[in-house]
Amino acid sequence: MSRREVRRTYDRIAEHFAQTRAHAWSDVERFIETETERSAGSLALDLGCGNGRHAELLVPHVDTVVCADLSRSILETARNRTGDRTIELIQTDAADLPLRSGSVDLAVYIAALHHLPTRTLRLRSLDELARVLTPSGRALVSVWSTTHPTFEATMGFDTTVDWTLPNGETVDRFYHIYDPEEFERDVRDSAGNVQELFTSNGNCYAVLGAAED
Amino acid sequence: MKETLMDILCCPLDKEALELEVTQKEPNQTETEIIDGELVCTECGTEYPINDGIPNLLPPDMRE
Repeated sequence: MSRREVRRTYDRIAEHFAQTRAHAWSDVERFIETETERSAGSLALDLGCGNGRHAELLVPHVDTVVCADLSRSILETARNRTGDRTIELIQTDAADLPLRSGSVDLAVYIAALHHLPTRTLRLRSLDELARVLTPSGRALVSVWSTTHPTFEATMGFDTTVDWTLPNGETVDRFYHIYDPEEFERDVRDSAGNVQELFTSNGNCYAVLGAAED
Repeated sequence: MKETLMDILCCPLDKEALELEVTQKEPNQTETEIIDGELVCTECGTEYPINDGIPNLLPPDMRE
């Protein structure tokens, strides 16, 4: 499945998907609270923002929140949901960020990296995230993992997961399901400076710092 | 998108500076909101449309 097909998938399911993704994740809330106590920032990034549920958590702490996603339709749902003046919506490929190096103070990249179809693209996306962070900037990255009870496999694998639209139609969504060791290997292979790694609720998380100079 | 976003945007392909060409904008209380226009890379010349306030900064091969 190519990145263009991934975009078309989310364009098709955007409206319905947005309604079902209402609540922020507690692990993300905790990360934002910890990081914003540590330092005030001016710019935050929600990469793979979907309907903007996590961007809302960033708004009180920074001047501007950039909401970036591959799908224009999903961005429209973020606009309706957040509607806030400090949020900027941009349509972006997560492996080619249109943001200047060292410009982002705080970033969340939640349940999106696993939709990039190849390891090369996923590594490039992590490198781009590390590139755009300020020297003291931090990013929280999460992916779905084999630790989730729904998966028997213990090694990482590619799969598609159906999305059923209200009219009963199903749409294939590409996922690379990581195993924890594989996820650690990828984040350590990336240009990012790994601050923390943990697993929670069937997801693997990493806190990344900027690219080491 | 706000005009001030230009301070952090760059070309996704070569990370060079972008030039903003505005066709429609809305001055609001604090700053100008760009509604329609284009961002053009000063180096490779790639054009990125801004429609209804949202810039499409996807590489050209990913758009249609």
